[in-house]
Amino acid sequence: MSSEIIVVIVVATALIFDFTNGFHDTANVVATTISTRALPPRIAVAYASILNFVGAFISLEVAATVAKDVVSVQPNSVGLLAVFGGLVGAISWNLITWYFGLPSSSSHALIGGMVGAVFVAEGADAVFFQEGILGKVMIPALVAPTLAFIIGGIAILVLYRIVGRMRPGPVTGGFRLGQVISGGLLALAHGTNDAQKTMGVITLALVANGTVAEDNFHVPSWVVIAAATAIALGTYAGGWRIIKTMGSRIHKMDAAQGFAAQGAGSAVILAASHVGFPLSTTHTISGAVIGSGAAKRLSAVRWGVAGNIVVAWILTLPMAAVIGALTYLVTRAFGTGALGPIVVSTAILAGSTFLYTHRSHRAGVPAAESS
Amino acid sequence: MIGAIVDTHALLQVVWVALAAGVGVTAAYGLAILGTTRALEFSRDGHVRQAALYAAVGVAGFAAFVAAIVFGIVILLGD
Repeated sequence: MSSEIIVVIVVATALIFDFTNGFHDTANVVATTISTRALPPRIAVAYASILNFVGAFISLEVAATVAKDVVSVQPNSVGLLAVFGGLVGAISWNLITWYFGLPSSSSHALIGGMVGAVFVAEGADAVFFQEGILGKVMIPALVAPTLAFIIGGIAILVLYRIVGRMRPGPVTGGFRLGQVISGGLLALAHGTNDAQKTMGVITLALVANGTVAEDNFHVPSWVVIAAATAIALGTYAGGWRIIKTMGSRIHKMDAAQGFAAQGAGSAVILAASHVGFPLSTTHTISGAVIGSGAAKRLSAVRWGVAGNIVVAWILTLPMAAVIGALTYLVTRAFGTGALGPIVVSTAILAGSTFLYTHRSHRAGVPAAESS
Repeated sequence: MIGAIVDTHALLQVVWVALAAGVGVTAAYGLAILGTTRALEFSRDGHVRQAALYAAVGVAGFAAFVAAIVFGIVILLGD
């Protein structure tokens, strides 16, 4: 009975993480659309929310990577508590970076949290450092934003070559229309990659509980539907401060640049989802946005803001790992029953409600909407 | 060493597919805008042949844009 209660808490925590993932990450998806005024903010967010939901059903490769290739947990309550600790570590880091308006990576927060908690709970052998973390997370994490940067740069140069001598009016109108499609594609891509991570973690918890056999790995349908719904709702709830950072503070972009950035970002994320690499839309779209700006004029990019983003990226994995490990230890101090997860989840719920209320009072709505 | 850790085949696949799709799709849409806008301009000025030629470029560009997106999603649905 105790393990069933823990599973319910872990699933609920995973869905809350998924919600914060949508809240924190997906705002990046719509930032360029809003920045170039291709769509009004609230419509852009609702549109992204729907396509995130749809995208979650398209592929399960990333879910399989997260559930099988990064860490392994024993089918017992310690394994369940480790998954719980990892989730809380990721949620805590997401909340901290959201509160301070720093773009981060929910994906790396989740993986960092899981690694930290599983390392403390099950030992180093349960963490697949080389093929898993290095091979499937860290190296693709370096390649993806660099690739998006290059593709964003080449794409905008090609576009300027094609339409550069034309009157700006119809061209801008055309690219704003194109951004409705490329923005939708980016939201769809986000669903194919980020919603999968939650599905992977819930499935890992089900393996730890013995509900899903390790040698017969599959993601249950209810997990897919629940994760898709949570990330879509999180997306809709918004994240105005992150939108402002990504859309206009990196550099002021025109509609063609927004289109090129979204096209580049979508291409990289969808290609990575196909082979099961758990990327971050934040990393990828940031690379594409900066690439499309730098190709036009290096001075157009606010490199200080881009530097802050890089610092947040570097911090995400180790910080989430530390918080995940600490959470596991605190939870474990209450024994292997359900008391630890109940106490910790109540505390994190109270803390996040406080931060959300405090931030919402100060955030307001973005300039693009109010003008 | 790196080859033993990373699935280089998958990584290279991501690189070339993303490069081809990212640049190709945006270029196709750029051609769609070029074709449509020029076709309207030439049509307004009474240059029917040029208008038809640019309209064909616009249609081909937009068709390639849509086809590439649909193809990508179909590939993913097979996962």
